[in-house]
Amino acid sequence: MINLRKYPKKLLWRFYFIVLTISLILDFYWLHQHIFHYHFDFQYFPQFFALLGLFGCMMLILIAKGMGIFIVVDENYYQKQSDGSNGGPN
Amino acid sequence: MNSWIHPGLVICIGGFLIPFIPWKRAKQAYFLALPLVGLSIMVSTSMGLFGAIPPWPDSMHKWNVPFLQYTLDIVRINKLSVLFGYVYVIAAFCMNIYSLGVKNDWERVASMIYVGSALGAIFAGDLFTLFFSLEIMSWAPFFILLFRGTKKSTGAAIRYILWHHFSGVCLLAGILIHVHQTGSIEFTHMPWGWGGKYLGSNLMLLGFVVNAATVPFHSWLADTYSEASPSGSIYMTAFTTKTAVFCLINTFAGVPLLLWMGVTSAMFAVFMAVLENDGRRLLSYHIISQVGYMVAGVGIGTEMAINGAAAHAFCHIIYKALLYMGVGCTLFVVGTTKFDRLGGLYKYMPISFWMTMIGAFSISGFPLFSGFVSKTMTIEASELAHLPIVYLLLEGASIGTFLHTGLKLPWNVWLQGMDEPPPEIRKKLKDSAFNSPVHMLIAMGILSLLCLFLGLFPNVLYGLLPYPVEFVPYTVTRVFSITQLFIFSFLGFWLLRRWLGGHPTYVLDTDWLVRVPGRMFIDFCKGPLLAFGTAFDQWIMQFSGYFISKIKNPNIEMRMTPMAIGLGVLASLILFSTFLILRI
Repeated sequence: MINLRKYPKKLLWRFYFIVLTISLILDFYWLHQHIFHYHFDFQYFPQFFALLGLFGCMMLILIAKGMGIFIVVDENYYQKQSDGSNGGPN
Repeated sequence: MNSWIHPGLVICIGGFLIPFIPWKRAKQAYFLALPLVGLSIMVSTSMGLFGAIPPWPDSMHKWNVPFLQYTLDIVRINKLSVLFGYVYVIAAFCMNIYSLGVKNDWERVASMIYVGSALGAIFAGDLFTLFFSLEIMSWAPFFILLFRGTKKSTGAAIRYILWHHFSGVCLLAGILIHVHQTGSIEFTHMPWGWGGKYLGSNLMLLGFVVNAATVPFHSWLADTYSEASPSGSIYMTAFTTKTAVFCLINTFAGVPLLLWMGVTSAMFAVFMAVLENDGRRLLSYHIISQVGYMVAGVGIGTEMAINGAAAHAFCHIIYKALLYMGVGCTLFVVGTTKFDRLGGLYKYMPISFWMTMIGAFSISGFPLFSGFVSKTMTIEASELAHLPIVYLLLEGASIGTFLHTGLKLPWNVWLQGMDEPPPEIRKKLKDSAFNSPVHMLIAMGILSLLCLFLGLFPNVLYGLLPYPVEFVPYTVTRVFSITQLFIFSFLGFWLLRRWLGGHPTYVLDTDWLVRVPGRMFIDFCKGPLLAFGTAFDQWIMQFSGYFISKIKNPNIEMRMTPMAIGLGVLASLILFSTFLILRI
């Protein structure tokens, strides 16, 4: 009986690492075998999608955090704005 | 045999009867039956019961009404409108199941008018009918927001309707200029370019892109969708933006401006979602991002890109409703969707977690899920059109989509490495795995199955698309590259996961320009400008009073009169020359 209320953490991690390893091996193998058919030259770079995924993801978070310095404000920012003036339906 | 019943009209008028049904069960059954009637009309239409549907872009015309010197083409059926019609009624059915527990009958009426008017817009064959339907459609969410009854939702309702008045006025002005120039009211492909000759087209385009929440006119979406009730917001996710995409496919396919606006939206929205602390606002940014894909597809304008945009709209309505329902369950049960207050809910709501994950895998475009078969079409179209930058930006947006909806959202709401939710959330939960109402879970179950079905059998969807499809989604290259992309995105997320936790913050967007400097401008007008105006007025009155008193004094009358006349002439000369300078 599967316990519905328990998050299958170990199972998912194992599955993740198996798929990760297979993908790294197959990339070299299939690239070598000319199974891939890409449209742009840069896509043929070894492990291109792995690098794009990893660095793309990290860059996204870092750039957004940089943007956050300017645009992240207090949770009740607009409520305070409307209380400060003559009110209004905010 | 040939008389076609408009499903939009059935749902709209039928919706008005909901409050007058006395029994609760009968009311619920009737509420579910309305979209099913629409679905049966759609099925019989595509079976050819009302005549065979010609290949796109030809259409069947079913209902013409003379109006002034024009003929309104109220019902025009083609492959594209049938595709949208199907997904609208299917989504409406699931949404109705989800909102069976809604107490306020008038909220149901508003949502049915929303669905009906959206159907009215996609079957419209002329610009006047389209405008009329879109106007009704812009009012329905206003009432859905108002019926929630909180101060925040009332404010959001007013901002919503202001944005949509703006888009409506642009659209009307565009239509009038277009009709004046060409004499045609047909809702079809429009000429587009820069310059005064294309003013009408450009205004119409502006009206549509505001409705489609394309950057920089996107902020209304994140602002308002997150303020509606759990069930009200489900309806809002589907119809407005996708009807705008439908209009863009019909009128502005192949406009390069749309390509860049779409790609910018797709990318910009994922940056905003990184900072977001509210689950529903995060999902709203992903509507903007996904609609960006569709708008970019319309901008590329090739047959494959148009097919991709239409297919993506179809899949998007289904998985986005599912995602909103998953987060809506949390809002319904524990009363918040803020990440800083949630976490560890898995033990209490595992079913909604897994179904939300199906939606998340679909929106990310994992193989075997619905987004994969539609999103890859647009990406492939950008590759075939030799647009490497567009391709990379769309792939980047894919990473962002997976990062937020597939990882950040479920992590922050259901997991966060905690076995139990925070105590104030725990108090609101029963000690069971079934905290969400059953009807909500049933609605989510149907949508989850649809996501999987579309992912596993894409040819069913491809058969409905406007152009013939030669695209095969499941190739070794594509399945492999997307899987690898997401596996390593997960690694990036895991390394930086502490940066994606919730904090009690709010992210400002472009609507800040309207809400803060706009308010300052109004305050300036009400305060200093009005005071200055009043003072200036008094000063002028005193000045003229002084002259009148001097003139009326008999002793200096002879000396003052020529001077007064001279001043008068000087003043008119200054005014006249200023006028001339300004005119020249």
